[in-house]
Amino acid sequence: MGKIFDPTNYSLPNNCLAFAQSPQAIVFDHFVRIYFSTRELDQYGKFLSHVAFVDFEKNFNEIIDISNTTVLPLGELGCFDEHGIFPFNVLKDSNRILAYTTGWNRKISVSADASVGLAISDDNGLTFKKYGKGPVLTASLKEPFLVCDAFVTKFDDQFHMWYIFGTKWISDLLDNAPQRVYKIAHATSSDGIQWKRDAKQIISDTLNENECQALPTVIKANERYHMYFCFRYATDFRKNPERSYRLGYAWSNDLISWTRDDDNSGIAISAEGWDSEMMCYPHLFNCDEKILMLYNGNEFGKFGFGLAELEV
Amino acid sequence: MFRWKKLGRIFNPAELGHGYWMKEYAQAPSVLIFDSFVRIYFSSRPLPDHKGQYVSRLGFIDVERENLFNIVNICKEPILPLGSLGTFDEFGTYPASVIQTENEIRVYYAGWTRCESVPFNAAIGVAFSADQGNTFSKIGEGPVLSFTPDEPYVLGSPKIRRFNDIWYLWYSSGRQWLHNDGFPQPVYKIRMAQSTDGIEWTRLGEDLIQDRLEKNECQASPDVFFYQGIYHMFFSFRYNLNFKDVGRGYKMGYAYSIDLIHWKRDDEKVGIGISEIGWDSESVSYGFVFELDKQIYMLHQGNEIGKYGFGLAELESYK
Repeated sequence: MGKIFDPTNYSLPNNCLAFAQSPQAIVFDHFVRIYFSTRELDQYGKFLSHVAFVDFEKNFNEIIDISNTTVLPLGELGCFDEHGIFPFNVLKDSNRILAYTTGWNRKISVSADASVGLAISDDNGLTFKKYGKGPVLTASLKEPFLVCDAFVTKFDDQFHMWYIFGTKWISDLLDNAPQRVYKIAHATSSDGIQWKRDAKQIISDTLNENECQALPTVIKANERYHMYFCFRYATDFRKNPERSYRLGYAWSNDLISWTRDDDNSGIAISAEGWDSEMMCYPHLFNCDEKILMLYNGNEFGKFGFGLAELEV
Repeated sequence: MFRWKKLGRIFNPAELGHGYWMKEYAQAPSVLIFDSFVRIYFSSRPLPDHKGQYVSRLGFIDVERENLFNIVNICKEPILPLGSLGTFDEFGTYPASVIQTENEIRVYYAGWTRCESVPFNAAIGVAFSADQGNTFSKIGEGPVLSFTPDEPYVLGSPKIRRFNDIWYLWYSSGRQWLHNDGFPQPVYKIRMAQSTDGIEWTRLGEDLIQDRLEKNECQASPDVFFYQGIYHMFFSFRYNLNFKDVGRGYKMGYAYSIDLIHWKRDDEKVGIGISEIGWDSESVSYGFVFELDKQIYMLHQGNEIGKYGFGLAELESYK
């Protein structure tokens, strides 16, 4: 269906200028609210990611509204989410909306670390309050840094989280700064707050051992679980389309063992246009009998996001 | 009321330190007792880098069991590696708390990383020794006690103990970063977690020790031991800001408990303070209490948080 939103055409809260990254949807009766992370430049010339949303008619042609106030403030001094919240994963849970945030904080020897936080909305997702100043999922013995990109859903009354964890920082002579490697993992929970995890990479690599895997999203269809995610090379991925993000695909019958099968992802970069160099940050959701996927294109979503419909 | 008799300084790294990494500081002493000697672990530092920043490394000295002032061995190299790029303990391992059980020796330590908006963050790691405590290796690159919604940052000062087959970890938990005109300072309070294996921890989730100086009082080094039917805690506390000024730095505090959870602070009973002159005339802190051959001792650091080493006191009386 192509690109449906370009942030540079609208006025955004928190002095944000561009980027609409990692679009993620909540479907209401008469409209669909799509959250995304957008960016402002701080006083040091560095980016801060903020959460915003846009409400669409269910035909995704007309925009009803765009958030004009802060959806969720960044963390205070020293907190895990002081320097940005991106992505922002939302989940309806009876009359609340839960948000699993990825909070960023800047470091010295490497650019940043990230952890997963929880925020809760009691006003249909207009604003969220944090469940504590700290994260619900962060570095552990076998997951030493960059615990982020949570996607949470419920199957059979159990919470499942797919997320990524960093395995190493490697030096990159091109960029003169360490680059990260991260892999997809799985956690479960009965309350959405305390999580059990075993620090296991669940999706096999296809590029090489330093393949970076990000933003898993899972949906059930035809009695099978389907996961989309994005993956890229660890270095030289920003400007080189050959090494940048592509969408990957895997399936599972039991939510535990996954078979990677990118050839059957059914979606690929376009020959030209807004998603011709990369595709990243997929988000699957059900909307009126359809399965839809939001995703970003070139430049990691600087100029917005698009939508695709799954034809089963 | 405790009454401690100071016996003097045991070790000053500026005089006896070995190598590039043991130039100054001998902090947070912690003891293992062997047949013929006592091993004292501590954290030491090489000289600071061009920005004035330190890393902190774990080492030990061995002293004669019959004469704790006779140093018989000084370790040659740091005994716990710093973390690799981007990990929680890349820039230091301090303080450390060593424990020996029936079948192993472990160390719990605070690992340090450097941040942009605040100067540092810390989380608690664990490492194991397969050679009688000569060296330690990690079982993972990440921390064993990390951040939670209610404990968002700066987890430090671990003190590991086992009572009645349960592992206990007392530690400092950062509660707030004060802006302090662009020189952020953390507020941290003493907390506790329990475990059946020392790896998976359940936290109590409460500050254990009442404040005495001010709301933003910093509390560290919660050293707990069982003696004459109750649990005793010697800890260190200081003012939050300008703590390098005389009178605002670390002092020794005291609290007691019968259940390891509820603590009654009673600093009047601490029974140890600064000396009139010398290496511990401004500050006495980071106590470690242990029993050796029927005598109770306390190791402690002195001025400038252990820059000039640590000393020993013995318990004269307790009522």
